[in-house]
Amino acid sequence: MKNLLLIVSVLYGTLTFAQDKGYFFGGFESNTQWLLNDEGLNFDAPEDQLRSNNYFRLDYNLGKITAGVQYESYLPSALLGYSPVFDGNNAIGTYYLNFKHETIDITAGYFYQQFGSGLILRSWEDRQLGINNALKGIRVIFTPTDYLDLTGIYGKTRNGFDVSEGITQGIDANFNISEALNIDRIDLDIGASYVGRYQNNGTNDTIPSIVNAYGGRLNFVAGDFYGGLEAIIKDPDVIANEGQLSSNKLYDGTAMQLDLGYAKKGLGINATFRRLENFSFYADRLAEGNIYNQELIGYTPALTKQQDYMLTNIYVYNAQPRLIIETYDQRAGEVGTQIDLYYNFKKGTLLGGKYGTKVAGNFSYWAGLDAEYHIENRWYKAEFIGNGSRLFRDFSVEVKKKINKKWSGVATFQNVIVDKGIVYGGPLAVEDDIQASIAVLEGTYKIKGSKSVRFVVQHLWAEKDRKNWVAGVFEYNFNSNFALYLADNWNYGDTDIHYYSAGGSYSKGRTRFAMNYGRQRGGLICIGGVCRFVPENTGLTANLTVNF
Amino acid sequence: MNKIIILFCLLTTISVFSQGNIPNVDLKTMEGKTISFHEVTDQNNIVIISLWATWCVPCIKELDAISYVYEEWQEETGVELIAISVDDSRTVKRVKSLINGKGWDYQILLDTNNDLKRALGASTVPLTIVVKDNEIVLRHSGYSPGSEDELYEKIKELTL
Repeated sequence: MKNLLLIVSVLYGTLTFAQDKGYFFGGFESNTQWLLNDEGLNFDAPEDQLRSNNYFRLDYNLGKITAGVQYESYLPSALLGYSPVFDGNNAIGTYYLNFKHETIDITAGYFYQQFGSGLILRSWEDRQLGINNALKGIRVIFTPTDYLDLTGIYGKTRNGFDVSEGITQGIDANFNISEALNIDRIDLDIGASYVGRYQNNGTNDTIPSIVNAYGGRLNFVAGDFYGGLEAIIKDPDVIANEGQLSSNKLYDGTAMQLDLGYAKKGLGINATFRRLENFSFYADRLAEGNIYNQELIGYTPALTKQQDYMLTNIYVYNAQPRLIIETYDQRAGEVGTQIDLYYNFKKGTLLGGKYGTKVAGNFSYWAGLDAEYHIENRWYKAEFIGNGSRLFRDFSVEVKKKINKKWSGVATFQNVIVDKGIVYGGPLAVEDDIQASIAVLEGTYKIKGSKSVRFVVQHLWAEKDRKNWVAGVFEYNFNSNFALYLADNWNYGDTDIHYYSAGGSYSKGRTRFAMNYGRQRGGLICIGGVCRFVPENTGLTANLTVNF
Repeated sequence: MNKIIILFCLLTTISVFSQGNIPNVDLKTMEGKTISFHEVTDQNNIVIISLWATWCVPCIKELDAISYVYEEWQEETGVELIAISVDDSRTVKRVKSLINGKGWDYQILLDTNNDLKRALGASTVPLTIVVKDNEIVLRHSGYSPGSEDELYEKIKELTL
């Protein structure tokens, strides 16, 4: 609280003395839902029918100094599916004071930081997922030359309106070899990270109070080729499940990611391989695997293509970095690959036509680690790649085409196989797989100026689970500021439920307002490879954002 | 609660001054070099900044639509479009193959941990802003077909 007063007084001070120089910026975001009983969905609205998440952010810059606060309220409860740590709270969520001058950048208060690809450390905010794991403490970034930067961090992880029990400390260094040695033919940079978590072990001295992780990485660009390699090892630590230590045994963890790509005008290919073994890293050892993604230190997103349509988002993958050795569930991590391809048929060619044709494809395959388990001893051993159970496999092709000045369209086909444990939670590779094929056709017709209509038809074929679906969207854009839509997902293969919705949005300059009414299909909502489970519900939602 | 009231008062009195400033945030080039947003926007020409992501369908539609007419725009007004990807580490590896596969001619920058996205208060992408003389003169979020023509009309007005 003292810190906060300090920042507010700094804001005031700078304001009175230097009103002509500094400036304010920030924004307001409000997401509100009004949940309604719906017999057709078997949904009974919870006691707090009207729920609202609000974020008010104000920053002030004066030359080398920037300061800011973010006030948040979740009243009377947070939106459905958010961590209960937010429910009924309103307070200052984050604040910071930053000084930036030439080679030095110092932040006190809450800050967001990522080391490398984020596997070892990432703190960020995603309001739709209810994630804000900003670190509260101090960060120093030192950039002595163009080719070297060093970052040091020390702090506790935000958890709701409180902070974690564990303290995270870390150092990160990046060095661009090509820049330092004036090499033109290849661009090569390397980086190294250290992250440690300190947490009191109380009376149990078999548990380590400090757990360290070390990582190294290399990235290169050579002509049309590019790629990177990152590897991390984490010291032995206990594993926990649902807030309880599984045993006093310690297990180390590893992560490895390899990317390779080729890109020249008209063609792009990239492939990623990743292997995670017992690689979950939280700011509190007991927070491991919590379903609300709170107190995360490392970022282990699902590396699959984020699909664009309603029916292509029913069967999605969620990364499986954890180690569990129990009679009812055994897993040690995941290994797999994701490949993307982009190609442009040039205009004027047979397949390109007048405007060119854009094609995109992807393939991904993810398996659980192939491992032996000895449950009594709580021992396991995993292969490097091996032949573990398939958890997810998909491939998709998408063709985009501008037909003439008025019409443009997209056609997509996806085939996906997913383990039931991924979709519904619970043990992996025990129940059957679900296999589905999805076809999507989308068309846009420009009426005049920015007045246009867009429609999407989609079909999903599946033999198991809820079987077949059909869906459609109709959208009318009155102009570039105002649009209305109608949508329906109909599960005609099994439940005969229509998930209908209707809504609209209006945006002008710094303000955007959107509203919709309808049924929300339950399941995983994934953004950036991180998923949040949302129960089925019906209601009215409104979103307002204003920036200044 | 008092503090909130204070903040709101501050806001209402000062928002008048706040318009159009460029946040001082660092971005990365495709080669991994650091470049500040100030350097990016500090040009004689008008600059269009588009915040986009590989997974954002309307973003890609907008950038595709502009790519058909970008040459014309540049010849007539000298405007430059800088497409800043807010892809995080999950999808950032796709940026390079996607822009090449699409054949876009824009300068591409990366905002991997979303520092610029936060500073601009962009809760959704696409966000399009137009910068002239180091000041944000236009801001629009979302994309509907044809809004690129409206954008261009405004740019022509600004170049007069």
